[in-house]
Amino acid sequence: MDFNRSDLQRMLHDSAERFVNEHYSLEHRRSLRAVQDGLDTAGWETFAELGWLAILVPEELGGLSGCMADVSTLAEVLGSRCVTDPFISSGVIAPTILSGASTSQEDLLGEIVGGTARVALAHDEPNERYAYSQPRATMLAASGDGYTLSGQKMMVLDAPSATHVIVTATGPSGAALVLIPMDAAGITTDAYALYDGSRAADIHFDGTSVAAEAVLADGDAASALLSLALDRARVTALAQAVGSMEAELDICSAYLKEREQFGQPIGKFQSLQHIMAEMFVETHQARSILYYALSRLDGGYSPDECAKAVSLAALRVSQAAQLVSRQAIQLHGGYGVTDEYEVSHHYRRQFILEKTLGDMDYFTRRLSSL
Amino acid sequence: MDFHQDPAIEEFRNMVRCVIAEELPAEMAERQKAHGGTNSVVADTLAWTGKMNARGWSVPHWPVEHGGTGWSAMQNYVFMAECSSAFAPEVCWGATHMCGPVIYTFGSEELKERFLPDFREGKYYICQGFSEPSNGSDLARLRTRAERKGDKYVVNGQKIWTSCAHESEWGFFLVRTNPDVKPQAGISFLMIKMDTPGVTVRQIPMINGDAELCEVFLDNVEVPAENLIGEEGMGWTYAKFLLDHERTTSSFIFQNKREFARAQRLALRETIDGTPIAHTAQFQQRMARIEAELTALEWSVLRELANEDFKYDRTAAASTLKVAGSQLQQTISELQMDILGSKATRFYPYPQKDREDAGPLWPDDLGGRTAQALIARASTIYGGTLQVQKGIIAKLAFGL
Repeated sequence: MDFNRSDLQRMLHDSAERFVNEHYSLEHRRSLRAVQDGLDTAGWETFAELGWLAILVPEELGGLSGCMADVSTLAEVLGSRCVTDPFISSGVIAPTILSGASTSQEDLLGEIVGGTARVALAHDEPNERYAYSQPRATMLAASGDGYTLSGQKMMVLDAPSATHVIVTATGPSGAALVLIPMDAAGITTDAYALYDGSRAADIHFDGTSVAAEAVLADGDAASALLSLALDRARVTALAQAVGSMEAELDICSAYLKEREQFGQPIGKFQSLQHIMAEMFVETHQARSILYYALSRLDGGYSPDECAKAVSLAALRVSQAAQLVSRQAIQLHGGYGVTDEYEVSHHYRRQFILEKTLGDMDYFTRRLSSL
Repeated sequence: MDFHQDPAIEEFRNMVRCVIAEELPAEMAERQKAHGGTNSVVADTLAWTGKMNARGWSVPHWPVEHGGTGWSAMQNYVFMAECSSAFAPEVCWGATHMCGPVIYTFGSEELKERFLPDFREGKYYICQGFSEPSNGSDLARLRTRAERKGDKYVVNGQKIWTSCAHESEWGFFLVRTNPDVKPQAGISFLMIKMDTPGVTVRQIPMINGDAELCEVFLDNVEVPAENLIGEEGMGWTYAKFLLDHERTTSSFIFQNKREFARAQRLALRETIDGTPIAHTAQFQQRMARIEAELTALEWSVLRELANEDFKYDRTAAASTLKVAGSQLQQTISELQMDILGSKATRFYPYPQKDREDAGPLWPDDLGGRTAQALIARASTIYGGTLQVQKGIIAKLAFGL
């Protein structure tokens, strides 16, 4: 075993850190709230230039054939500055589904890698919470040479800046994954922001026309592809959370040395030293279980083994993220709950990462069903 | 021991409940229900105080000669519990529970006549200038300087976490009038009109999207000397009087009870695979434990209200309520977030009056939940951090 980064991963990490630290200042991120679809256009162009959107695309389709450990290396850095650009959607979920599709999606993958296309996943539906194994109420019905799509999707992450959306539906042969351009007729969207500044939308499909080749997968193949994509997405989110926690250790330890009360740096108080030490232990455990999940996803394990690893990792990382992000605020006193200090942004980012792709309750249930 | 509640208290509760139902406008209660900030909408606070004043109930806990009702501690407790569970707006705490009691206890007749009627009527909002950027937990070392020059004070310095300073007509400030004595001895209590030249207010954007807390900059602000409350150098004593005066407040018992009841309602509505969350074993277990903690907290408050003989320093009991109550606020808001799941992530814009209708997919009762949960992270910070409270308990209960 070797837990050190490979040369390539080190290069990826270092270049990511350089760009992210330089580009994603707190002020810059706060300014993105005023951008209609939330997308940092200049930032996204750099995502493409640096090859980050090609990591999971196979070489024969113009990508880098990278692994989840590579994705994690990058995601940790994104997490360290609470970057909310749609990397999980377009850099992880879309390449996974499109490169495994039964119809060739080479052109679209090329546009994703080039940064000109962005793809969201429309999966959640009203009145459910992370019920990812339930049949979808969104229906794909045969119509002439193709199909029509009808139904309501909720909380489609990154939809406002997306050019396409992959929709999960129930079709003639069971589960189906369908690709729809966002400008197709028969789509109504209601866009909004989440508390960390990322964007989502509710999307209604009202008899939207779907060409036969837009069905990316159906039946068991569709379910398997979706599970793989979601588990990869979850691990990417966990890596961001770990990056965020490690950044908070640096921010908080510096603050404890600098902030004075009662005539001394507050880091001299044992009660605060112990909080800091506890945050350190949690973060350490979180990174360890992240590695365990990566080893399963990159190691050719069965879907159930991967599901178990991802669920265990999600539980442990979420627990750590809650403790670390809460205590980071506590250590900052009143400043910690203002929008002007980094720790409040890390808190909100970790809250959204924990709640969007399945929460601790969901992963507990999922483990007991495996 | 006699654990029986006086039966007259239940009659009193019913009477109070009827009056609130009569007086509280539905839209005011709705605004409070969807509330996600630190303080209620100022206009609602003032209007509600005015309505209660018309009944003679706006400052029930004050001495009768200053407009109080003469209710017992238990009656006041019931009144506040009923206001809270009906979603009445918060009162202007600074006026009714902080500055008002200091003025009627230590202030001159002139100050009493000038301010107490306005506080009772809810004529305007007042804000509290205690904390400073460098002095939060360590308040005694505050630096804002007030120099006596003839018949006025000239004030220079900076305050922070001043609630609703931007909407306040007056502020009560702790200022340093004597820098040459030990820190606690040189502090005075001063009323400053917020439109005095040299007063600048900046609203601080917060984690939940609101901006009700402010920084107040004081630059050569000239304050008439008659705005000093009580004696020069006694400000620290008055501030401590305030804290001793309101021992049970820091339990946030009313808010904790109301928000737990709300969590129960949300858990009946939100479902997992068609089953209400309230009926799943995982949440039942969690909610039972929280209910047990909440019940213990309420009985701790009752012990304090009934003036139980206490083996330890009473301040240790007040800190206990704060330690338990502040953490319970966080526990209950975390519970609400977990009940709502991914729906809790949606941002609802501030201020509330601009809050858009989120559409039929988004239940009305979501608005304000996450904003409230985010700002609840401050409950273990304001009014003395969790760590400071634990230090007080160790010192006062055990001499450590």
